[in-house]
Amino acid sequence: MRILLIEDDKTIGGAVRDHASADAHAVDWAMSLTDARGFADVAAYGLVLLDLQLPDGSGISYLRDMRSRSDTTPVIVLTARDQISDRIEGLNSGADDYLVKPFDLGELSARIHAVARRYSQQSAPQITIGAITIVPAERRISRDGEPLELTAREWAVLDSLLSRPGSIVSKARIEDALYAFGAEIESNAVEVYVSRLRKKLGAETIATVRGIGYRLAAS
Amino acid sequence: MTRRLMLWLTGSTILFWILAAGLGAFVMREEFDEVFDSSLQETAERLMPLVVDDLFQRDSLDEPRRVASGSENDEYLTYQVRDAQGTVLLHSHDAQPEPFDAPLRRGFSDTATQRIYTVDAVSGTIFLQVADNLEERREAMTEGLLSLMLPIVLLVPLSMVSIWYFVRRSLKPLGALRREIGARDGGNLEPMAVDGLPVELQPINISVNRLLERLRTALEAEREFASNSAHELRTPIAGALAQTQRLIAELPAGPERSRARAIEASLSALSHLTEKLLQLARADSGIGASTAPVDVMAVIQLVAEDFNRMSEHAGKLELRLDGIQEDAPFLRRVDADALGIILRNLIENALLHGDPDGPVSLTISADGTLTLANAGHVVPQPQLGQLTKRFKRNNSSAPGSGLGLAIVDRLARQMGAKLMLASPARGREDGFEAELSLPP
Repeated sequence: MRILLIEDDKTIGGAVRDHASADAHAVDWAMSLTDARGFADVAAYGLVLLDLQLPDGSGISYLRDMRSRSDTTPVIVLTARDQISDRIEGLNSGADDYLVKPFDLGELSARIHAVARRYSQQSAPQITIGAITIVPAERRISRDGEPLELTAREWAVLDSLLSRPGSIVSKARIEDALYAFGAEIESNAVEVYVSRLRKKLGAETIATVRGIGYRLAAS
Repeated sequence: MTRRLMLWLTGSTILFWILAAGLGAFVMREEFDEVFDSSLQETAERLMPLVVDDLFQRDSLDEPRRVASGSENDEYLTYQVRDAQGTVLLHSHDAQPEPFDAPLRRGFSDTATQRIYTVDAVSGTIFLQVADNLEERREAMTEGLLSLMLPIVLLVPLSMVSIWYFVRRSLKPLGALRREIGARDGGNLEPMAVDGLPVELQPINISVNRLLERLRTALEAEREFASNSAHELRTPIAGALAQTQRLIAELPAGPERSRARAIEASLSALSHLTEKLLQLARADSGIGASTAPVDVMAVIQLVAEDFNRMSEHAGKLELRLDGIQEDAPFLRRVDADALGIILRNLIENALLHGDPDGPVSLTISADGTLTLANAGHVVPQPQLGQLTKRFKRNNSSAPGSGLGLAIVDRLARQMGAKLMLASPARGREDGFEAELSLPP
C-alpha cells in the first residue's frame, strides 16, 4: 500500500518510514502541509499518517480539507494530544484512527494492517456481516439469501460505514457522504437513514456510539 | 452584622429617649413647683380678707371652727387660721385640727408632707396658712413622667422593626455581592455583575473581579503549560522509543539486541511516568471543574474502545448499562478530558492489579454512578484509605507509578464527584471496586 506520512519530527518520522517500509509499504514522507499537498496532487495514497502540529498549520485543517473534497483516503492521526476532547475533534474531522505518541511501532503496524484489510475488503467481491451479504461493486445486498433494495442515499451511508467495519464512523463523516448528493440535508438526515438501514439489515448490524457516530458490526 | 447594627441602633435610640425624658422631667418639675407655689400664694392672699372678715363677725370660741365644704371632694389645698400664739382658730374641713408644723412667718415653708404659705393680717395677730399636699405634687410629677415614658414602650418595638427593615434593605446589595462571591470556585471564575451596587461597595466588586481575572489568567497559563509540556515531552520520547524499536528490529539476536530491549523497557516506563505526571499537572491546574454538561456515554465509549483495541486487554472490559436508555442523552456537568483521565486510570488499575483472567466490569447507572469492579486479591482496609495518596501503592512490587488513584481522587473532588473504594467488591468475596458518583 502507498502511504503518505506527514510528520515534522525527524526522529519519529524516520523510524515510522523505516518501519512501514519494512512492512512492505511504499512511504512518501512530507515534513509540512505544503509538501503533503504537493505529494497528494501527483499520487493516490491508500493511507495517510497525519501529525496534528505541523510547522505550517494544523493537521486537523488538512484533514477537514480532504474530507470536504470528498477525499475518502483513510487517515490515521499520530499525535501527542491524548485528551478526550482532542479525540472527539479528530474523529469529527474525519479521522479513521487515532494513535497517541509515544506509540509502539508494533501497534502502528496493527492499525495500518487493519486499515489495509478494510481497504482490500472494499475491493473484495463480497462482505459478510452476520446474515447480511454485501457485494459493493455490483450494489447487491441480501439478508439470509433474500435480496434487499437500498436507495442511493442508503448506499452512501452504508459505504461510509463499510469503510471502517467494527470501528466508529463519525456522524460528520456520514453527513459528508450524504452531502455528496448535492441536495439539501435535514439536520437529522443521518439518524433517518441509519434507522432505515437498521430496519432493512437488522438492528444489531449498526450500533450507535453516543455523541460521536455509528459502528458497523465486524464481519 | 445585621443583628449588631440593630442592637446598637435600637440601644442608642432608647438611651437617648430616656435621657431626653429625664431632662424633660427635671424641667417639668421646676415648672410644676413654680405653678403650684404661685397658685398657693394666690389662694392665701385672696382668702385672707374673707377669713378676717368672717372672724370679726363671730364670737370667739374655744374650739377651732371647721368650715363646711360645699362638696365632699378631697381638697387639694387645706388651710388653718391661727392667732399669734399659734392656736388654730379656723381650719378647712380636710385640714388637721392640730396646728401645722410651720413657723408663723410670711412666706413659704416646708414640712415633711406639705408645702405651706403663710400670710398675716391685723398687725401680725392673725395668720392664715394654706397647705398644699406634697403627695399631690408628687403624683402630678409621676403622671407627667409616665406620659413621657409611655411612648418608649410603644416606640422601642416600632423602632426595632423599622431599623430592622431599613438595615435589611440597605444591606441587600451586600447580600447579593456575598452570594456572587460565594458562587465563584474552580469552575466558575466569571467576572461578577451585581446590579444596583451602592458606591461604597463598588470597589469590592471591582477588586474581586480584578482578582478573578488574574486567577483565571494564571490557571489558563498553567493549563496551557500542562498541555504544551505534554506535547514537548511526548515528542522526544516517542522519537526515542520508535528509533529503539527500529534498532531492535534491525539488530541480529544477541547481546546488543537485549541491551536495546532494556532501553525500550526503560523508555516505556519513562513514557508511562511522564503520562501520569502530565495527568497530575492537568489535575493540579484544575481541569476537573466544568459548567457545561457533556454526554458521559460518549466519553466512556471512547475510553472503552481504546482499551479493547489494545491486544493485551482486548475483550476484558465489559460495559453494563443499568436503567439507561440507549438513545437518551446521559448528560452530566463534568469535564470530558478529566472524566477520560479518571476512567483510564481506574480501568488501567483494574486491568493491572486485578486477576489476569477475570473480567473487569464498568456499570453505568441512571443515577450517574460509574462502578468499576474487578476480581483479584483483597486490599486490606488500612491500605485502602492510603491508595489515593501520591506514590502510595498497595503492593510496592506490583507495576504502576502509584499516582493513578491520587489523580482520580483529585479530579473527582474538582468535578464534585464522590469516589468510593471498596475491597472486596460488593457481592463478591474478593476483588476491588471503585465507585464514582457524578454530580448532576
